Amino acid sequence: MPILPLSIFDDLAGNFYATFIEKDRYMLFLQGLGNTLLITLFATLLGIAIGLVVAIIKVYCAQTGRLKIANAVCTAYVAVIRGTPMVLQLLIMYYLVFAAFPDEMTLLIAILSFGINSGAYVSEIVRGGILAVDRGQLEAGRSLGLTQGQTMKSIILPQAVKSILPALGNEFITLLKETSIVGYITIVDLTRAGDIVRSRTFDAFFSLISVAVVYFILVMGISWLLKKAERRLAKSDRR
Amino acid sequence: MIDVKNLSKSFGDHLVLNNITEKIEKGEKVVIIGPSGSGKSTFLRCLNLLETPSSGEIWFEGKMINAPKTNVNKLRQKMGMVFQHFNLFPHLTVMQNITLAPVKLKLQTKEEAEENALRLLERIGLRDKAGVFPSMISGGQKQRIAIVRALAMNPDVMLFDEPTSALDPEMVGEVLELMKELAEEGMTMVVVTHEMGFAREVATRVLFMDEGVIMEQNTPQEFFEHPQNPRLKDFLSKVL
Repeated sequence: MPILPLSIFDDLAGNFYATFIEKDRYMLFLQGLGNTLLITLFATLLGIAIGLVVAIIKVYCAQTGRLKIANAVCTAYVAVIRGTPMVLQLLIMYYLVFAAFPDEMTLLIAILSFGINSGAYVSEIVRGGILAVDRGQLEAGRSLGLTQGQTMKSIILPQAVKSILPALGNEFITLLKETSIVGYITIVDLTRAGDIVRSRTFDAFFSLISVAVVYFILVMGISWLLKKAERRLAKSDRR
Repeated sequence: MIDVKNLSKSFGDHLVLNNITEKIEKGEKVVIIGPSGSGKSTFLRCLNLLETPSSGEIWFEGKMINAPKTNVNKLRQKMGMVFQHFNLFPHLTVMQNITLAPVKLKLQTKEEAEENALRLLERIGLRDKAGVFPSMISGGQKQRIAIVRALAMNPDVMLFDEPTSALDPEMVGEVLELMKELAEEGMTMVVVTHEMGFAREVATRVLFMDEGVIMEQNTPQEFFEHPQNPRLKDFLSKVL
């Protein structure tokens, strides 16, 4: 008479084998992880770059009344990006805007889509951070003869970064997890890899749970890095 | 040195400065007193264009500074400003606070600026604080460093906007002492303050502002002993 628990263990071992070892499927997971990290990293950098520029234009326009047209463009950009779903933006980029691009460029399209999307959210975070810096700091910088730009770069932004870091961290964690939709445009990321393996092995447990665990570890890693950065920036607060 | 002609400033419908004309000569120590809301801070802040005048002209060393073409940044390098709330840069050390502007504006090399900063810190007895952040020093020390930060630019005039108003009483003395030293060295100073003792002792001229105009001005002795304007008499009776 077969003993029930043992057969479960048998199944588990078999499923584990099928999910990771058989046909070198772990390679698919690794490739997926690589794409997830690649998209997240470059989209994050692009998002920061766009967000900074947009935030500075908006603040500059609010303070001086100049750059009105650029400001209007930025406002429209943020409104459109925040007003439409990310998946839709991704599909529009893939099937409309960059429809003529060859397949090898799909990863680039994904990076652009996520970067542009993230930039809108980052810009609002940065703008809030800039506005939270005491106005006296700007006045002190300008009264020493520094230009608006020099004051922004050396005095305002370094202080803003400190206060926006938690919100920025949130944004990057969201971005990492949101890249799990790139399967929509044929990219095999971590999520897609798990799903492909699930459909081949008919075992949802190892394929999906292992992917979830990897995401979780990645997010823990980002959180740890952010905490370290926060502590570093807080060194001027010590009393 | 500073020539103010028909200066007016309004915030919305509220007229804060009403057609002020005033001249400040090199070497003068002008102290401005008056009740809060009288426009004295706004007047001071117009001098280096932290507030943009609504109308009128401000001339500094032969240039009209509120002309559209004037390079304000260049002129501000020669006008040091000290604020009520110090406005030290909290993310920078004391040394970096002092050297930031001269180095960024390429007026001094980093080495020159640091040497200069140490000399200035030495003078106010705070050389040992060069490496610390502003959050670790007292209010009086902060304000003296803010003064030194402005001095590091070798300004021709120093503007003080209520420099002791945010200080604990026991720290007011050290700041006023430093300002007195500056005055004795011949620095041109414009000081908005509530410190009547300082006005009496250091000023070459005292202005009384109220409702956006300079109501009365005189040498400190005459100003305090024989005030003419009834509003000034009333004000002095409350503060002295």
